[in-house]
Amino acid sequence: MGLAHLTVGTSPLDGVGYRLSSQSLQFYIHNYVLGLEGKWATLETKPVTTNKVEQTAVRNTNSLLKRMYKNRVSYFFLMPKLLFFFLFMVVPIVWAFILSFQEFNIMGSTWVGFDNYITAFQSNVFKISLWNTFLYTIVTVPAFVITALVIASLVQPLGKLSQSFFRAAFYLPTVTSMVIIAMVWRWMYNYRFGIFNHIIGWFGIEPVNWLGQSDSALPALMIMSILIPPGAGIIIYLAAMNDIDQSLYEAAKIDGANALQRWLKITIPMLKPTTLYLVILSTIGSFQVFTQIIMMTGGGPGNATETIVHVIYKTAFRDFKFGLASAQSVILFFIIMVFAIFQYRSLRDHH
Amino acid sequence: MKKWLMGFISLMLILGIFAGCSNDDASKDLDSDDWKEWEGTITMWDGPRWADKDDNKYHWIEDKISEFQKDYPNVKIKLVKTPWAEMNDKLSVAIAGRAWPDIAPVDISGGSINQNHINQGVIAPLDDYFTDEDKSDFYENALEAYTTEGKLYGVPTSISVHAMLLNLDIFEEKGVEPPKDGKWTYDEFVEKMKALTGDGVDGFSTYILPGYYEAWPFLLMDGGYPLNEDMTEYTFDSKEAVSGLQKLVDLKYKHDVAPESMGGEDVGGTWKAWAASDQRTVAVEPWATWAIASAQTEDFKTNFMVAEYPTGDTGEPVTIGGVGGYVMFNSKGDAKKRMTAEFIKHITNTDEQVTMAKNYGTFPARISAADQEPFADNPQMARAQELSQHAVPVPRHENWARIDEAIQKELQLALNGEKEPAEALKAAGEEVNSILSE
Repeated sequence: MGLAHLTVGTSPLDGVGYRLSSQSLQFYIHNYVLGLEGKWATLETKPVTTNKVEQTAVRNTNSLLKRMYKNRVSYFFLMPKLLFFFLFMVVPIVWAFILSFQEFNIMGSTWVGFDNYITAFQSNVFKISLWNTFLYTIVTVPAFVITALVIASLVQPLGKLSQSFFRAAFYLPTVTSMVIIAMVWRWMYNYRFGIFNHIIGWFGIEPVNWLGQSDSALPALMIMSILIPPGAGIIIYLAAMNDIDQSLYEAAKIDGANALQRWLKITIPMLKPTTLYLVILSTIGSFQVFTQIIMMTGGGPGNATETIVHVIYKTAFRDFKFGLASAQSVILFFIIMVFAIFQYRSLRDHH
Repeated sequence: MKKWLMGFISLMLILGIFAGCSNDDASKDLDSDDWKEWEGTITMWDGPRWADKDDNKYHWIEDKISEFQKDYPNVKIKLVKTPWAEMNDKLSVAIAGRAWPDIAPVDISGGSINQNHINQGVIAPLDDYFTDEDKSDFYENALEAYTTEGKLYGVPTSISVHAMLLNLDIFEEKGVEPPKDGKWTYDEFVEKMKALTGDGVDGFSTYILPGYYEAWPFLLMDGGYPLNEDMTEYTFDSKEAVSGLQKLVDLKYKHDVAPESMGGEDVGGTWKAWAASDQRTVAVEPWATWAIASAQTEDFKTNFMVAEYPTGDTGEPVTIGGVGGYVMFNSKGDAKKRMTAEFIKHITNTDEQVTMAKNYGTFPARISAADQEPFADNPQMARAQELSQHAVPVPRHENWARIDEAIQKELQLALNGEKEPAEALKAAGEEVNSILSE
């Protein structure tokens, strides 16, 4: 860190530039922004800190503004979507955060500080729901990603027409509403008429009260999630696989690598960014599991299938405790964020 | 400043979303004598009822709106058709956004509208628009359900009770005599259930789910009740309540007359096991009165009779009752309120309650409507109506939805055999007492 004078001017180089000496920092700012041309110019400013992090931040901000200005037509077309994103995503999220520190009543609100957070963590049901959601996620997310990878790997070598057929076949069920899927699965788990008890009956196994017993209800929901084809994952993996340079496989073949070795040593590493994307996306989805719960178990028996979003829903719209529900939502937000950061750091492609 | 701005923008958004169902006409205040001249829109939410020949399940309320608008041409009644399954959630969101309708059909003990809303002024009192003479035509327990601190917060239209429905075909196949006049003690009930069970048939089944009370008369049959009189203490862990729950659990585990799935949350599956012609595997199930009307339709045409819940130590065939009706939400302008109340009167008068009883399978809340004997040619509904004299209401506590869930979830575990009845009801008490102490 040191004192510096900000020096602004032009340089023969395009883009952002800066010079740092013990006494001055010289910046080149794009002509678009200032309309300056010619030699370097120096402006006297307040003393500024010039450590590396701050320099990078200034440079990045500068660069972002420049890029945005340069691509202003694109941003103009993006504006409606960005506006909707701001109004319907950013504003509610910020509002939920503010609400989490309030006791919200229909006719007014009171600031209660961290009381809602304390109440949330003191609630046994909320703690159980955290654990159930965590369990559900660690079982279903790997299953989703692995299934998608394996199916995509089996489909990818096929011809274009076959690929299109399987793409459609696996993706179509994804379009079906989860409400309908849950209703069908509920019937499949029926104690007396369900297909699962029918099948295990062939092996002489006694019927299971799948959704009615505490020890089988959550696994039954996990099985359902695992057995539903991961259509979106398959499509994304197929697109990524088709982008892998075929010369890599040819080179590996020449080196004597068999199909499994090529899959393990080329396909999977090359798909790492896609895998990261799918893992993060499906983790977020799993942490927000809701429709299956409300349609199939209502969180029961007891609290065996209670999940975070179902608890948030009940807290807000049944109990009208919007402040507490917001606090629970903020907790969920941070849990998902921590998971996403952890996954990103673990799986990102360093190359 | 920024937080204030965010809050303001968000509020505007929510108000905008619900603008379609809010009172968008500026109501002008008029002298009370001039309320008939009021101009504007009254927004009403209602659910589907019985279908006409075009399968329109809103035809009844649409006709009533047309009639009213002819009498008051300056008034527009805007109907928001809302499926029953969505009614509670939509009302909750609308109330949260402070953009409620003017009228909605609400069981005041239900989840979406409760005592809190009355305390917070969401629901408007109707005392100014109903004279004592008007009120005297309603059954006392029906009026009581909508009365808080001496003020009337809704107009009751229907009373419902739970009753045992007996599939007489199965009784005949098994050579079992139905209970005489639909009356039986618990021991007689068990004997008959045993005789009915076997060869793919179970004598009895029901389900346990927050907000549903089909199984609860068993818990009350020996004198148990969830809360004490002033609703400050949990009392469902009393020996009477434990004994009642034990009797219900025994049907499954001791007497073996109920399926493994009894006590789960599957309402549809439980209904089909009794009513669907290709699945009739349960001889006796308790249901609310809507099920009687359903079992009389072509889809579920069933040869059945209505019976009382078996009697326990109290000797009374206890059942659980509920009261449905319309509430008026608070709005600006006395004239508008007066006009809204007039419309509520229009749809809840004696004739309409008779129509509702005959077509929708509910018991009238008005004495004058019941006097017209709408069930004279429907012995099953008539029998169920007799049971209403033994109906006990669920407690009207402002946090009842949470209390109810705490109890029901423990009942599920007891019915699953995962907890002993005493243990389950005690565990529920810990949660309930913590709610009561808030």
